[in-house]
Amino acid sequence: MILEGGVLPVDRANVDTDQIIPAHYLTGIETTGLGKHLFTGMTGGVELLAAYPGASIIVSRENFGCGSSREHAAWSLADRGFRAVVAPSFARIFFENAYNNGIAPIVVPSDEIDALLRSPNLRIDLDAETIVRDDGGRVHFTLDPLRKQFLLSGGYMAFLASKVAAVRAWDAARAVPT
Amino acid sequence: MPQSLFEKVWNAHVVEALPGDNALVFVDKVVAHEITTPQGALEIERRYNDALFDPNRIVAINDHVSPAKDTETAIQAKVLRDWAKRHGIVLYDMGQNGICHVVAPERGFVEPGMTLACGDSHTCTLGAFGAFALGVGSTAQGGAMLAGCLVLQRPKVMRVNVTGRLHGGATAKDLALHVIATLGFKGGTGYVLEYAGDAIAALSMDERMTLCNMAIEAGATTGMCPPDETTFSYLRGREHQPTGDAFEAKVERWRTFTADPDAAYDAEITIDIDALRPLVSWGTNPGESVPIDGVVPAGASRASLDYMGLEPGVALRSLAIDQAFIGSCTNSRLSDLRAAADVLRGRTVTVPTIVTPGSQAVKRAAEREGLHDVFQDAGALWTHSSCGPCLGMSMGVLAPGARCVSSTNRNFPGRMGAGGRVHLASPAVVAASAVLGRLGSPDELGAAVGETVNA
Repeated sequence: MILEGGVLPVDRANVDTDQIIPAHYLTGIETTGLGKHLFTGMTGGVELLAAYPGASIIVSRENFGCGSSREHAAWSLADRGFRAVVAPSFARIFFENAYNNGIAPIVVPSDEIDALLRSPNLRIDLDAETIVRDDGGRVHFTLDPLRKQFLLSGGYMAFLASKVAAVRAWDAARAVPT
Repeated sequence: MPQSLFEKVWNAHVVEALPGDNALVFVDKVVAHEITTPQGALEIERRYNDALFDPNRIVAINDHVSPAKDTETAIQAKVLRDWAKRHGIVLYDMGQNGICHVVAPERGFVEPGMTLACGDSHTCTLGAFGAFALGVGSTAQGGAMLAGCLVLQRPKVMRVNVTGRLHGGATAKDLALHVIATLGFKGGTGYVLEYAGDAIAALSMDERMTLCNMAIEAGATTGMCPPDETTFSYLRGREHQPTGDAFEAKVERWRTFTADPDAAYDAEITIDIDALRPLVSWGTNPGESVPIDGVVPAGASRASLDYMGLEPGVALRSLAIDQAFIGSCTNSRLSDLRAAADVLRGRTVTVPTIVTPGSQAVKRAAEREGLHDVFQDAGALWTHSSCGPCLGMSMGVLAPGARCVSSTNRNFPGRMGAGGRVHLASPAVVAASAVLGRLGSPDELGAAVGETVNA
């Protein structure tokens, strides 16, 4: 699958999930319609989004998505049409949530970030695991092979559902239940 | 092959190895709260015939906004309540509830050697019991409720040896902040922090929970403390535990969940806490803290300085505060409230101060000791249990630019309200600051009314 689109340059480290979507917007029971709250907790976040209409790929710095486990962060990004976040590192829970919501969390070396931030558009090939900048520069990345399936098919819950019988059998067979 | 505590728990729960260093890991227990559970529960209802793996492995807790503040949060609570009743899931609702990370242990729902998941990043708190307790997203929590398992990448393990003892006003909160400052805000990413050493053995369960609570603030997958007699004594007689011989048999099994002497670790650090003194955060992540008598460091990030309205070299003690908050899953247990009350007894707060117990059970225990009178005599607001002002979701939201000293875990921009500035500290430092009207520590306070000062 090819993701091709404009870059939203979020040129800062430690973008936490309170900045992505503040807690007072966590009052719903559905996963949809949260895009309007995206980055409202970030200083200058609303203006940044307005300056890059139609962007679908975020480039940011270290430790993206740190803090709260709120999947609302991934839901709000997906609702605004974001399909990938490129950063040198991610916080674990956001990383998992992104995969489960059709957002590719792409890890690249930190010395690649400056050039990626400067590229107005990026072309991301999820199969070949490469990013191509507007200037033709190319960056390779690796995705977790299993979670890549979840990313492409939205299949985390379906995958677990297929395991229920095996898990029950395992649980019944273990010597000391907990 | 010698094993770490983490490896013993992990190996006892791997159902199946999966591609890419992933594993299908059995989840013994799920804690479900009203903010992050409805989405997964509705998905299961709509697409998987409302079938749960085992309702007896779940407890539901209305915790973040209880009582509801508006129609939306009332619906969240109702969805959780109706879902729990429909499935026969144990529910702790208004009147018997509190913060899930406080309620679950006090009800004995977590125990050594188990795996536990919850759609909340501070689930790592429960690693204090020697459990592998994991904060996850709503989809993953839903998966655990549907299939009794999670897909997890096997984390690395870092042994954190802690030597010395807490004294000189230093608390478990200061140790937690010190660990984060040592590792860095993301220095624990990819690791389970397995605590070890005499200093950990000397901690109470409340203190171990405070320490493990902030493992996530170093980016860690979770924290874990070795279970011991302190752990077993805490759990004896709790609601979800058996009594008599059945309990003692469990204790014998729990004793096996300890690191083997020659266990190998992916990383190891040693921290001595003899010289540790009370810390306070100055910046916008929990790794940015200094001793309370310190200054904003040179080389501080410009973004943090601007947000906090600070410059390098400014003394923390010179900073006037607008609000103080004692509460949250980090520091809202009975021992935390006692520590704050010891500072506030006979004194008066000079800024608006909110004290929020972590659970209704903590609230009642505190009131039996008269702590509510201490707080209210000092002029503080004593509330029902909840997450409270910690995440700016319900009461106690900060005005833009307002400075709050807080016993919580996150000082992110906007965490307690848009533009609000948060300084993290222990309950005693928060209480002393509330009296002083600026950041400060208990040793700065003169004698309280009616108090005899021993020279």
